[in-house]
Amino acid sequence: MKNRGLAFKLILFTLSGTMAVFLSAFAYFYVSSKDSMTKCVEENARNLTHSTVHQIEKVLEGVQKVPLNYASLLSARNFEAGDIAGLVERMVSTNLEIYGAAIAFEPDALAAGAYYFAPYCYRKDDGHLMNVMLGDESYHYFTMDWYQIPRELNRAAWTEPYYDEGGGNMIMATFSVPFYKGKDAEKRFQGVVTADIALHGLQQIVSAIRLYRSGYAFLISRNGVFITHPDSRLVMTNSIFSIAEEKNSSLLRRIGKDMINGGEGLAALESGLLLPDKCRLYYAPLSSIGWSLGVVIPEHELLEGVHRLGRMVILIGLAGVFLMTIIVMLIARRITRPLKDLSAATVEIARGDLDAKLPDIQRGDEIGALARSFEEMRLALKDYIKHLTETTSAKERIESELKIARNIQMSFLPRAFPPLTGKNPMEISARLEPAREIGGDLYDYSLIDDDHLFFAVGDVSDKGIPAALFMAVTKTLLKGIAETGLDPARILNRCNLELCGENDSMMFVTVFCGVLDLRTGRLKYSNAGHEPPVIVRRDAQPEFLPVPEGFLLGVEEESSYQTMEIELEPGDKLIVYTDGVTEAVNAAGEFYSHANLMATVRSCWSLSVEGIATEILGSVKLFSLGIPQADDITVLALSFAGAEV
Amino acid sequence: MELYSYKQDKFFIVKVSGRMDAITAPEFEKSCLGWIEQGDSALVVDLEGLEYMSSAGLRSILIVGKKLKSVGGSLSFSSLTPNVAHVFSISSFGSMFPVYDSLEKALGNS
Repeated sequence: MKNRGLAFKLILFTLSGTMAVFLSAFAYFYVSSKDSMTKCVEENARNLTHSTVHQIEKVLEGVQKVPLNYASLLSARNFEAGDIAGLVERMVSTNLEIYGAAIAFEPDALAAGAYYFAPYCYRKDDGHLMNVMLGDESYHYFTMDWYQIPRELNRAAWTEPYYDEGGGNMIMATFSVPFYKGKDAEKRFQGVVTADIALHGLQQIVSAIRLYRSGYAFLISRNGVFITHPDSRLVMTNSIFSIAEEKNSSLLRRIGKDMINGGEGLAALESGLLLPDKCRLYYAPLSSIGWSLGVVIPEHELLEGVHRLGRMVILIGLAGVFLMTIIVMLIARRITRPLKDLSAATVEIARGDLDAKLPDIQRGDEIGALARSFEEMRLALKDYIKHLTETTSAKERIESELKIARNIQMSFLPRAFPPLTGKNPMEISARLEPAREIGGDLYDYSLIDDDHLFFAVGDVSDKGIPAALFMAVTKTLLKGIAETGLDPARILNRCNLELCGENDSMMFVTVFCGVLDLRTGRLKYSNAGHEPPVIVRRDAQPEFLPVPEGFLLGVEEESSYQTMEIELEPGDKLIVYTDGVTEAVNAAGEFYSHANLMATVRSCWSLSVEGIATEILGSVKLFSLGIPQADDITVLALSFAGAEV
Repeated sequence: MELYSYKQDKFFIVKVSGRMDAITAPEFEKSCLGWIEQGDSALVVDLEGLEYMSSAGLRSILIVGKKLKSVGGSLSFSSLTPNVAHVFSISSFGSMFPVYDSLEKALGNS
């Protein structure tokens, strides 16, 4: 997730948000439309049931009216036995709903001696009427339901539906109305007027009810027996209770009881009871006959419309999401493409190509701002690099100039003593090790004439370029003055006066210088604030040479210097050095010191002058191993061999 | 190098300790020139705690000394350690500037 691109994240977040909104809206839509659809269907079912009930009741009422009229006629008037059959035939012929009719009398009620008297007329299949006389030994009609129930109850009554085998071989029900003779207390039961109704007519009305694909209606009798049902096998053979028994459903049993008790209601049924699927049952009573009409609505078909609508909504929603994905992708690409370009360009810049062309993004938004910042950064970097290059080349130039300056400085220090003709009364050697490229130490030696050697060691009060310049001036002055043949003190005096002019920076130089007479070994020397040299006399311990007091050169014009003299014996050696030797520091912060110098000289004084200089330098370097050299180091060694060598 | 300074009577006393070399000497020089600018012209530099003085240190003393000379002031030193005394003696600083064994003597004799 972290490493995914911007476009991916944008799509993910946008779509998950949209999906959440869409799904919750859809869920609300589904639930509320399911509710309203269910309510609407229930309302329809109720209306349908009521109208069907009404329709059936109308038929039944039409049938009931006829025997009721004849019964009151029979109660009011006396008829001859011969007229009764005509009455019966007229009942059937004038009422098409009536399948058959009868007027059945009590024994001997109409005429003495006629135990059975019950003319019956019914409609044959071909439409012709058929008149028969009911009642004989095998058909003792007084015990039949249609006769006995109204007689006992003293009111008109419907029989249970029955299968008539004698007449029309069909299911029918009979409405029987009792009639009487006399009034009030005198009232005597005379017989019943009946009208049969063939139930296939009702069955057609009920089976015409179709709800959705598999919804249907059914009629049950007072006992719960199916009078009509789409499955004709159930008719007259099964009851709602037998189904409840078979499926072991107490709910269906309770509904059945409510139905036969004339109740009205709505129930939700499990699958497999009245339909293979879940269903709703609406029922209402036919109160005149005591039957009940039930309407069964399959639930999934009821909600089919809602589901279809839901599928449509989901399809539209998915199409919307798809469209949105494309739009978001386009937007994301629009955002990320310049970023990718920018990123590629910055990679180029990161590789060091500061002339890499940044993509031209003319936008007022954050990406445009980013691109502009990048461009500014590139220009700033370019400037910086240019500046850095200039600085670096300047530094390199200075360094190379310093190297050249060092070469020049080293080249005007004498490197090897010019060989003397015939004799070699002395040897001299010097080493100079600047702390930086160029330094402020100096040494010099040269023959003033055939018999006199001038030598000097100096130390300028600083290091680096200023010291080197001061050193060059000092060395040039010393040599120039020495060649005029003055004694050492006068040389230093003259040199000091030259250096003092306009020396605001108070740069100074300490100098030890001497003039050695090569014939006699007489050494004249003078000192301007410099470290006293070490003298090693043959067969004696080395010691510091006593030097005259003298202020350093370049500061005080009034400074004066003295010359001292000693005689060198053949084999004597003189070692002149700068404070870079004695003040060299080791890792513990200790100085090399004069004591160490003496010890080193004692150990190496018998070597050649080159050997002594090298040995002292090596000893100092070893002492301050690992510590950057702080000061220039100079060692000059001179050995007097004597004129007679 | 550490500097500690205070005024006593007409003297401005500077106590220097540590090392006075090419790195630290400019600080000594700058501080002293600052005090001289403020009008203190009788400087006594007490070197009791100074372990080492390089030629750069000598040079900054010369600069301070020259400045004091131009304003008619005085510069003296006291309590030199053996190292510094050696440097003073070799470079003949002792002949240029008054040097005393102790700060008391420097204050008493100036």
